[in-house]
Amino acid sequence: MSAPRIPQRPVDWVRRIGTAVVVIIVVWSLLDLEIRWERLIDLPRDMAILAGLMFSNMPLERIPSLLGALWESVSIAWLGTILAALVAIPLSFFAAENLVGRPAAWLMRQVFNVLRAIPEVILAIALIPIFGLTPMAGVLAIAIGSVGTLGKLFYEVAEAIRRGPLEAVDAVGGSLIQRFRWGLLPQVLPEYASFVLYRFEVNIRASAVMGLIGAGGIGNDVAQALRFKEFGIAGLGLVIIILGTIAIDYLSGLVRNRIIRGPAGVSIAVAAP
Amino acid sequence: MSSPAVVSAPSIPRGPRVGRFIVWGIVGVIGLTIVTAITVEFSFLDIFRNLTRRNLVLDGLLSPDIGQLWSERSLSAFVETLQLAILGTATGGLVALPLSIWATDYGNPYVWLRNMVRIFNAVVRSIPDLLWALIFVTAVGIGVLPGLLALFFFSIAVVSKLTADTLDSVDRQPIEAALAAGAPTISMVHTAVVPQILPAYTSFLLYGFELNLRASAVLGLVGAGGIGARIEFFRGRGEWSEVWGIVLMFFLVVFLVERLSVSLRRRLV
Repeated sequence: MSAPRIPQRPVDWVRRIGTAVVVIIVVWSLLDLEIRWERLIDLPRDMAILAGLMFSNMPLERIPSLLGALWESVSIAWLGTILAALVAIPLSFFAAENLVGRPAAWLMRQVFNVLRAIPEVILAIALIPIFGLTPMAGVLAIAIGSVGTLGKLFYEVAEAIRRGPLEAVDAVGGSLIQRFRWGLLPQVLPEYASFVLYRFEVNIRASAVMGLIGAGGIGNDVAQALRFKEFGIAGLGLVIIILGTIAIDYLSGLVRNRIIRGPAGVSIAVAAP
Repeated sequence: MSSPAVVSAPSIPRGPRVGRFIVWGIVGVIGLTIVTAITVEFSFLDIFRNLTRRNLVLDGLLSPDIGQLWSERSLSAFVETLQLAILGTATGGLVALPLSIWATDYGNPYVWLRNMVRIFNAVVRSIPDLLWALIFVTAVGIGVLPGLLALFFFSIAVVSKLTADTLDSVDRQPIEAALAAGAPTISMVHTAVVPQILPAYTSFLLYGFELNLRASAVLGLVGAGGIGARIEFFRGRGEWSEVWGIVLMFFLVVFLVERLSVSLRRRLV
């Protein structure tokens, strides 16, 4: 009797063809893009020089003014998020199939999809000529951009509610408002609050970025500093952005955990991407 | 003689006490909103006044230049954007896999190296896409290369974050089995970890590609190539019909890619 042969691995053609297609597309992009690859050789050196310029002699006396700019960024993100939530909560009920029916929900979802597709920065460059180089342009850009995402997250929650509490309110003869207050709100509010905080974390980054094109906040200071080759200020601003976002992610993560898990078992949350 | 028993009407049960966390939460939210509103000098009147005033931006929005859809220069800029997003995702996503594995307790036996990788990942994640672009434009000059580098790091951030979450919840038993059979860390990861996370990882790559496509559209605003450069060009000349035409085109592409990506991701997971 011969030794048993190792059985052959099954061939997954879908995977093989998929992989081949992806590789071809990537190689095509690689060859077709007009990139001066020779610049890559100098990149580590250039980055080292830039990092040296940015981080070697940071003007520490600028910390208070940069922290003020960071606070403006945080304000832009917070106000934009709150505005978006105030608009998205009522709209999201109109996108939940179990509350309004299919056609209306479909229509509302398309609105969310369109809003979600526009990058905030594009909204900001459109709003700057209208509002001038003010934080208001940033607030509105963030608000409009977040309505789509929050709306989508919200209606998914609203569709997953249990009917029990609603029926209980009906059974004791509750009014429409009581139905909403006691049957719906307690079910969705914790998750809504947690999504709003999550979006706030995302929006901190967005508002830091929008300053780069002039919509207020700390990005403005960093962009100006890079433009005028004041690398020390840019480096300091970068450090403040990084530490600021990490700190806010951490705090917001703690609150989110507390909201979702309840009083017990508070653990450290992971940062948003 | 005893008086008849008095039956009082049952009282309505009191609702549960509102917790301190909720009270402070509401106070905090309202307080923060007021303070931030003062910081940015927020006013609804301002919004209303500015939006009802006639302006070129909204006029352009009402008459977008559809011709941009087949303008040769815009199309080639669009292809560039797509290629940037593809290459950025492919390279960044590949690097993100080992980076997120090295940040786990089983994938990396050295505590100090694990912590270094974790700090690196956290720093990379905290820098937004456009800021990466601006940094690289400063370092290597205007062009496509800084855009690609920016998307490379942005993809690392997105994919490594998502993959890290999946890695936290892998089944530990195959790992133990591989280690019990004497596998070195690299073979253990290859045979016990990678097969578990591969479908999720692939879907994160697709998701990262969607995000990159959006990000790559704005890279051009700071001089890092792609369709953003065209947007910046028309914006500089105040030709808003053209800007909105390109944004419309961008919509179509994002929409198509998202449909494709969502259906592929459904198949994977």
